[in-house]
Amino acid sequence: MSVAYKSIQWNRTKIIYDLLLLAAIAIYLFLFTWSAQQISPDLEMLGIQIRAFGSAAFILLHVILSIGPLCRLNRKFLPLLYNRRHMGVTMFFLGLIHAIGFNLSSLPLLDKLPFKIPFKVTGALYWYHDFGDLDPIVSQFAGNTHYGSLVRFPFETLGVIGLAILFLMAITSHDFWLANLTAPIWKGLHMMVYVAYAALVGHVALGAIQTNRHPLLTVVVGLGLIWITVIHLIAALKERRGDQPIRNTAPATDNFVEIGSIYDIPNTRAKIVSVAGERVAVFKYDGKVSAISNVCQHQNGPLGEGKFIDGCITCPWHGYQYLPETGASPPPFVESVPTFNVQVRGDRIFVSTIPNPPGTQTPAAHIPPELEGQA
Amino acid sequence: MTSDPMNNPNPQSPKQQEDEFFSGYSRWPKSIKSFFFKFIPLLFVGVVLFGVIVPRVHDQFNAGKFSRGEFQGLLVGEPVPHLLVPRKGKIESGSQFSRYLLSGFSKSAPPAKVTDHIGKWVQLKGTAVHRNNLTVVATGGAEPIDAPAGAPSAPEPGIPLGKFSLNGEILDGKCYPGVMKPGQGKTHRACAIRCISGGVPAVFRSHNEQGDPLYFLLADNEGKAVNKQVLDLVADPIQIEGEVTQYGDLFVIKADPSSYQRV
Repeated sequence: MSVAYKSIQWNRTKIIYDLLLLAAIAIYLFLFTWSAQQISPDLEMLGIQIRAFGSAAFILLHVILSIGPLCRLNRKFLPLLYNRRHMGVTMFFLGLIHAIGFNLSSLPLLDKLPFKIPFKVTGALYWYHDFGDLDPIVSQFAGNTHYGSLVRFPFETLGVIGLAILFLMAITSHDFWLANLTAPIWKGLHMMVYVAYAALVGHVALGAIQTNRHPLLTVVVGLGLIWITVIHLIAALKERRGDQPIRNTAPATDNFVEIGSIYDIPNTRAKIVSVAGERVAVFKYDGKVSAISNVCQHQNGPLGEGKFIDGCITCPWHGYQYLPETGASPPPFVESVPTFNVQVRGDRIFVSTIPNPPGTQTPAAHIPPELEGQA
Repeated sequence: MTSDPMNNPNPQSPKQQEDEFFSGYSRWPKSIKSFFFKFIPLLFVGVVLFGVIVPRVHDQFNAGKFSRGEFQGLLVGEPVPHLLVPRKGKIESGSQFSRYLLSGFSKSAPPAKVTDHIGKWVQLKGTAVHRNNLTVVATGGAEPIDAPAGAPSAPEPGIPLGKFSLNGEILDGKCYPGVMKPGQGKTHRACAIRCISGGVPAVFRSHNEQGDPLYFLLADNEGKAVNKQVLDLVADPIQIEGEVTQYGDLFVIKADPSSYQRV
């Protein structure tokens, strides 16, 4: 899945996903323009386009930020997460077009075509800052410097901050960067999306809302903020409950801690337990029990919510696979996660509190044959 | 492995559904597929609703309109260049002139090809942008002409109306009438600053007790344009206390720009 860095490893799911995403955006942009024209025939359309792209990016950001918590709450949403990065990069481009516009007809090869491509959108930077006595970029930062005042705060700068973060995320969105920056750094960088979201809520609140003062606009943006906050809190609470120490179990002996019964775990599935502060996925398969780190090397997906398929533990997020007895991806893939020694005593499962280095051969614990049928 | 719902018409038990597993490169499990057959249409309903409603919660509509034309009138320089166009027909009351502010194309003052003729009767081509009784003509040059027969020989003198304290917003005289919609408020501030800095007339919009908009040209105590001095207050709610003079249907408020107060 990850060895050869192709620009995009297309498959049917990704193609359908992207087509639906692009169709949704095209419908939104078309309807936005059409609906505006229904109100007044002599609108200034460049400003309408700036708003159409900006609002499309802002709405899509809410969708993107909802996917993670929704998947924590209901696994049926996982297909949305599968290709979330394409959604993120698309959202960045919508924001970029809102800011600097888009002009296909000025591309060097396209202007040689026998027909003209009409698609041209003017960005806010040019529409508001150009044609004057300052360079647009200089005007952008020099026009308003009242950073000490909330009411006069330069909302454009908040947009620039949001867009800069989204730019960093978009250019590092490929698995090449995920592997080379390492998952924790990559994940940290991409968690900056929340900083971008905060900046963009400020951009909208101190820009569009402050200017227009339309109650419905305020209500919709406010509800969006509440929605994002509440689903993240609910998902975090659910996650936290899963991290509670295991009750009614024997205390740790010889660095092994009891994590429950073989009957607790469905076949080919796992139980996620917190051992010495680390989440461990304890899988039951083929009459055996193995334990590996719960954290997928790809994007830190929850391996314990995955499934044992074709001899491998398979991550629910993007299908990355690991052999249960080594924590290593099957060749030629190179990812590996820490493993944990496991013992089965009667029906009870004991997991070592000390992780083995990633890729260490760690024998699975066998379920006693007399219990296997019941388990 | 996951089951393929297309080849497996047998209904699944809840336990089977629970064991289904999605991976992007395999066929979709039946329960997830049926979930998305309901969820995706719902998403598209959301897209349609947002697409239709969002543009309507933006206050971006005003009655400002464009019209191209040729104008003949007396060119006046202060406080900002504007054209006095004799009104046609029988004028029983009010001013004999319509007063059109002048700007260059883009965010600029009218060029020297226009301002060289201040004090003369001229003919100019341009784009008029008008909203309520505020009109600006963007033009690139003017030709001197003889005063038309029967035209008033000079503009009527200003009528001092006294000292007033007015609340309102400084706008640029070009975007606000209709080049941009809306051409006012904070989102438009940067653009208005560039316009006024470039020489487009600065207009103060206040309102009467009925809420109808009133427009005032800004001038300092000597009656000169204040463009460069007011840039930092553009689009902010402010209060100006000054002497108001009426020239026909045009009002000018004279005050030292350093006395303008944010409110």
